[in-house]
Amino acid sequence: MSSFRAFRAMAVNEVRASVRNRTALIFTLGLAVLFMVIFGLLFGGSGLAVSFDAVNNDGTAASAAYLKALGDVSGVSLHTKSHASAFADLKDDSITAVLVIPSGFGAAYAGQGPPQQVGIYQAGGGSSSTAIADAVVANVTAGFAGRGHPSLTLSSPKVAEVNQVTEMDYMLPSMIAYIILFSGVNYVAIGLVEKRVTHVLRRFRATPVSSRTVLAAQVVGGGLTVLLQILVLVLLGTWVFGARNYGNWLLLIPPIVLGTASFVGIGFLITSVSRTSESARALAAMVTFPLMFLSGLFFPISSLPTVVQTIARILPLAWASDALHQVMNDGAGFSSITTDCLVMAVWAVVTIAVASWRFRWD
Amino acid sequence: MATAAPGRHTAEPPSCHTAELSAVGRMAGSGEPAMMRAEPMPARLRQGGEMADIDVEGLVKRYGDVAAVDGLSFTVERGEVFGMLGPNGAGKTTTLEIIEGLRVPDAGAVQVLGTDVLAHPETVKERIGVQLQATALPPFTKVREAVELFAALYRRARPVAEVIEEFNLGEKADAFTDKLSGGQMQRLSIALALVNDPDLVFLDEPTTGLDPQARLNIWTVIEGIRQRGKTVVLTTHYMEEAERLCDRVAVIDRGRIVALDTPPRLIAEHAPGTTIEFALVPGLDAETLRTLPGVERVVADGRVSVTTRTPEAVLHALLDPHAPWAAGVDVDGGAGGGGSGAGGGAIRDLMVRHGTLEDVFLSLTGRSLRE
Repeated sequence: MSSFRAFRAMAVNEVRASVRNRTALIFTLGLAVLFMVIFGLLFGGSGLAVSFDAVNNDGTAASAAYLKALGDVSGVSLHTKSHASAFADLKDDSITAVLVIPSGFGAAYAGQGPPQQVGIYQAGGGSSSTAIADAVVANVTAGFAGRGHPSLTLSSPKVAEVNQVTEMDYMLPSMIAYIILFSGVNYVAIGLVEKRVTHVLRRFRATPVSSRTVLAAQVVGGGLTVLLQILVLVLLGTWVFGARNYGNWLLLIPPIVLGTASFVGIGFLITSVSRTSESARALAAMVTFPLMFLSGLFFPISSLPTVVQTIARILPLAWASDALHQVMNDGAGFSSITTDCLVMAVWAVVTIAVASWRFRWD
Repeated sequence: MATAAPGRHTAEPPSCHTAELSAVGRMAGSGEPAMMRAEPMPARLRQGGEMADIDVEGLVKRYGDVAAVDGLSFTVERGEVFGMLGPNGAGKTTTLEIIEGLRVPDAGAVQVLGTDVLAHPETVKERIGVQLQATALPPFTKVREAVELFAALYRRARPVAEVIEEFNLGEKADAFTDKLSGGQMQRLSIALALVNDPDLVFLDEPTTGLDPQARLNIWTVIEGIRQRGKTVVLTTHYMEEAERLCDRVAVIDRGRIVALDTPPRLIAEHAPGTTIEFALVPGLDAETLRTLPGVERVVADGRVSVTTRTPEAVLHALLDPHAPWAAGVDVDGGAGGGGSGAGGGAIRDLMVRHGTLEDVFLSLTGRSLRE
């Protein structure tokens, strides 16, 4: 009873102190917002920034109407070109994809020929803009095919359940993962080292509180700070930057909580081998920065070399990032992120257990 | 137990040593030591009444080969202000931290408020108040919040507003703790030590690094704590602080107690007599001084310091206008040994003082307290 009162008072003080610590806020929430601003400026307000070259082998009124419908989608630029020059554009990366209209398109549309497929060619790599291209084409094609001719099927190669994921949509879960990573390590773990170095822990030890209470307050207080920051980020991301969540908001809770717990644990491991707060900071930076780039926050993991991918997939950030992206971008259900959550839970339990065992007051 | 431990210092009951201190309302002593035992303050007496608040026996703490605490034994009685006086590194803080349950000794036993600290530290911590040497508070915290936080850590705590009021922190209640002056910070630090209304308060160098004004203020605060019937243990390396505040002082050097008694008795035993100091004078060397009647000790290094139990006689001899070193002093003119006369030296920069704890430490260890 009295130890819960002590725990609550310490956790509240921790959250209040973290919110007041502007320098730390700049490095977590501030940088996350900055990344979104930069990506927002780079990719424009609509979020759609895709350009196509179309190779029209059909030449009927139907195919012209189809291409016009596609070109009218806001954010899409479309040019009809010859086969050779279209693929040359694709090769030098000046367009997102090439569309090839088959010669029987008009007949199929009129219900007078066999079904045809619009070809879509991308340069590979699977960035989010190619996903957008897929989605745009799929939507337009489906709408066009359905208009007055329900029996006609026109399909593009990668229709699929791909949502129209914009750069903002992709960045929001990435930045949630970023906040989890940096706050977990910096606020909770480095915060604890600083309290040790400045003898704050020693002062607490002169009171009846147990080390368990101190540790729990630090973790829960830090965790609440992470949640507050994520809340602000999500509000900014959706209202100001127009990012969308295709999944269930509640499904974000397991990866956020488990991800935070695993980074708090990793942070504690770092601090248990650091004597000073400076060395803890240096070590934390050595862990967090590579993790940030290797874990799918800014570009998909699949674009990395296999060896690096293997390493990235051992560490929890890749799992956190994967779970958050799956939920928010693909609208995945809990069954799709079970493995992600399990891996993070194992990380959290093991690292926090080791940290409590290695805890030092001074 | 360490064989080198000095003899156990039996507890002296608190006694008053100066009229000045009883004037500020010292509860613990307004009469004879025997009177104190006969008429203890009922408010702070637990059943039995004779049990010491702190009972330390054969304490040893080593760091590598160095014994920071080398066989300490002493008791602290209820209601007294007990001082630990010694230079930096003497082992004062380590001893304190063992008693507070912050460190585990290599040998020895510690009973605090009737409880074995090593076996039940939490029980003891509930009833003691601690001010650590390095004041350490959580970052980005305001004064009131700090008091609230520490109040929440105890089962029993005093109202926060009352504590803030008592330590004169009302004006600063909404200030961040890192914006406080040294004296304010120290007041807050002592306030936090008293937030659980402890029976026993530990103050580790409460005035180190403070300016004289702030130090005086803290002294008043500590006297107030005593008035409320708390037992206080404080460490210091300021002899005037120990002399003014403490009922008894343990003089500690290199992890051992070299003397333990009331300040007047320590002075009477180890620095008796009066010291007469003056500037060195031509024609008056240490040898000559030793021949004067009543002179017990002479130290001469630029300034001369003469120790005696008959200061009147020695002064009379020193200021004798017919003495060889007094040539040129215009006695009839009444200048009184100003020493400005042309023809030779006379006694200048004369100072007469009683022995202090500084002299006690010097006489016991051969070294100065602050070096």
